Amino acid sequence: MILTFMFFIICIIIAFLAISLIYKMQRLKELCDHVTTLNSSLEEMDEQAKLIMRTDIELNKTQEELDKKIVGLNTLQKLSREISTTLEEEQIFKKISSKYLEELGFEKSLAFLWKNLEREFHLYLCLGYNKEEVEKIKIAIDSGKNFYLDLMKSRLAASSVFIPEGFLPKDKINQIFTVNSFIFSPVLTQEGDQGFIFVGTQNTDNSLTKGDQELISILANQIGQTLDNARLFEKTWRSQQELEIKVEERTRQLTNALNELRDISKRKSDFISSVSHELRTPLTSIKGYAAILLTGKLGAVPDEIKNRLEKINRHSDELVHMVNDLLDISRIESGKVDMKIEELDLKTIVEKISDLFSEQLKIKNISFGSEIAENCQKILADRSQIERVFINLVGNALKFTPQNGKISIGANRIDKTIQIEVKDTGFGIPEDAQESIFEEFFRVDNAINQEVKGTGLGLALVKNIVEAHHGKIWVKSKVGQGSTFSFNLGAA
Amino acid sequence: MKVSVGFSQLQDHIQAVNEAAGQAVVGLGIANANMAFVFTSVEFAHILVLKTLNNLLGEIPILGASSSTIITNKGMFKHGIVLLLISFNPQTFFNVASVKDITEKTSHLSGKNLGDKLLYGFKDVHRSLSIIFSDKLITEGTNLINGIQESLGKSFPLIGASAADSFASKKTFQYFNTEMLSESCCGILFGGKFSFGFGIKHGWEALGKPRYITKSSKNIIEEIDDLPAVKLYEDYFAKDTLELAKELRHISALYPMGIYLQGEKEYLLRNIVSIRDDGSVITQGNVPEKSKIRLMISTEESRLAATDQACQEVKRNIEAQKIKFVMVFDSAARFSFLSRQSQNELSIIKRAFGDTPIIGMHTNGEQAPLVSINYLGRTYFHNQSINILAIGDQ
Repeated sequence: MILTFMFFIICIIIAFLAISLIYKMQRLKELCDHVTTLNSSLEEMDEQAKLIMRTDIELNKTQEELDKKIVGLNTLQKLSREISTTLEEEQIFKKISSKYLEELGFEKSLAFLWKNLEREFHLYLCLGYNKEEVEKIKIAIDSGKNFYLDLMKSRLAASSVFIPEGFLPKDKINQIFTVNSFIFSPVLTQEGDQGFIFVGTQNTDNSLTKGDQELISILANQIGQTLDNARLFEKTWRSQQELEIKVEERTRQLTNALNELRDISKRKSDFISSVSHELRTPLTSIKGYAAILLTGKLGAVPDEIKNRLEKINRHSDELVHMVNDLLDISRIESGKVDMKIEELDLKTIVEKISDLFSEQLKIKNISFGSEIAENCQKILADRSQIERVFINLVGNALKFTPQNGKISIGANRIDKTIQIEVKDTGFGIPEDAQESIFEEFFRVDNAINQEVKGTGLGLALVKNIVEAHHGKIWVKSKVGQGSTFSFNLGAA
Repeated sequence: MKVSVGFSQLQDHIQAVNEAAGQAVVGLGIANANMAFVFTSVEFAHILVLKTLNNLLGEIPILGASSSTIITNKGMFKHGIVLLLISFNPQTFFNVASVKDITEKTSHLSGKNLGDKLLYGFKDVHRSLSIIFSDKLITEGTNLINGIQESLGKSFPLIGASAADSFASKKTFQYFNTEMLSESCCGILFGGKFSFGFGIKHGWEALGKPRYITKSSKNIIEEIDDLPAVKLYEDYFAKDTLELAKELRHISALYPMGIYLQGEKEYLLRNIVSIRDDGSVITQGNVPEKSKIRLMISTEESRLAATDQACQEVKRNIEAQKIKFVMVFDSAARFSFLSRQSQNELSIIKRAFGDTPIIGMHTNGEQAPLVSINYLGRTYFHNQSINILAIGDQ
């Protein structure tokens, strides 16, 4: 009985353990499934992580390229601006500093220009090399100059990523220039020396791209253009210097000629003055003796002799008149006349002139008028000299205006000057004589001048007097219609 | 404590030293300088530079290094010299030392020697911080730190930088008084009344499933998940070994390996330096076996955010009322990615610290403690991080 009971208990226990085990195994299976699921999820996430990494590395590469390009373009822009504003050939290459070079991603740079005469390359830029290294490179370039000349001719750039046919191999260049990556770009100009620029780096991290090559090519082009500009500027500046020298020389010549003319003019004035003085004395004697003879104090004078004596007197007067005019002109030209400039009433002067010539005007029935506005009445002049001007001009108008003609004097105010006109309805002056009539001894070739003797000094004297008043005189005339003599004086 | 910074970019290096020293001395006023930190670009790495400084500054200790880029308040410069003069509080103690000719075999021992030399005179003085400048030692960085820690203590705060050289595989230089050293390490130990705070961040996030280093030795990873180590990168980037080798520096810098550190929010980054024929990879810094790793990815925003986080961490850590100067060790790789936005990083630092003088350089590796309690403040060798150290009076 007990055995059966024990057997029964044992069976129950075994059954319980079996159920427990089955349950645990089920649980274990479930957990294994979970772990498997988690593992697969983890694997999936890991695969996604791989995708992310691969995408990220490409994005990083692109970003780095972009950054490099942006920095490169920015540096190129700054450098181009500095280079293009340089007008001295020597200074152009000095603008390329280590700072800019580093920003472009390089630490070594050289620039050479080919000198045709010497048949060799000259160094214009050296960065990142010491003296010894440069000497070695120069020797290497000299011994292989044809490679570089061919590169310049081809107008192509060479770099670690692209070596044109016929150029030095990449390893050789790396060895000569002690770099791991490099770019050569020709510096081409319209005229004058051409050359090339070299940039290089020992950095093995960043590989060169076509973009780097393009940037350096742009820089080389900019240098070429600036060299052209600098040379053109030099040429222009030289031409300008030569022109300035020539102008200076010519100005000196003209000044010398002017001084000579002034000397001649002064000597002429002095000559006229001294000759006139010398002539006055004998003329005075001739006139005096003729007058004495005419009085009859030395005895009766026959009529024939009396006529001749009167002619002598008249001619002496004319000579004295001419000599006086010459002396006046000479004195005014040499500034020996003291001009007493004062405020004068123009109307009063014109009235005086009108009175002076009233008889002669009456004889020829010539009307005389004046039109002087209120604001033109006061002038600044030397009384005696300006009266002489009016006397000469009105006198000439009277001489050359036929019967029943008209003479008028007018005045206009122009700013601070008074422009005075003496107008007549006379014979007029031919156009080709209008400039010359103010010259000494010039007389227009016409019937009146052939008949009436004159010195040809009147208008010359008038011109001198007006110019001594800092004025100007000119004439407008038409043959057969009359003349208008105009001159200006300062307004009071 | 009083500090003053001088900076020059003059072409002639002697004139540049004179200009920088002049500015710094004038800025310090009547206070006497006790020591100088100097960072220069590579073309200024000249013995005459140090001798001139020594003459001008009156033979005070000079520590520093050459780098591809130097950092000042004015910006980041590929050419120039920056000098920081410090006039310490009389209750601040310091000692400087250097070790030379460090090789693969001697790096640990050299580290210990450096630590022992720095400890000289610090018997009864409470020590606070050590700053070191090492050569761009690719493989021995971790061992060097281990050696120093053996002397100074495993949890002793050690901040440092390995000089960068624009990946040109050229020599880098460490400055120790009037000596210009290479393959060396120089450092300073501070103690007494002294306060500092630091922050180190990188901004990379983990992507992809975790893997395990199944076989490695120091900085050589042989197998990951029982497969040749290079397979990880081949798999992720669908490139074979040859293609990977061409772009290795670029890929490794963009997608470094991240070592998971328990308790740390950020992974510890490792750059791949080279790939061996057997598929194993050499990293810049040790990677212990059985480490959990993941590939890391970042964006410009995350890297800049990391800079800000590093600044905030500094401000949280420092006890000083006023920060006197900030030293920045910024991975050269970060600079190469940030490129046009690199000045943004400096702007973030300046925004965090105001007018505080900033001096620093780009690095090929950074040394700083991990703050997590799991690591008891132990210093590790970092890659691609920005390491900011602020120093002030207590």
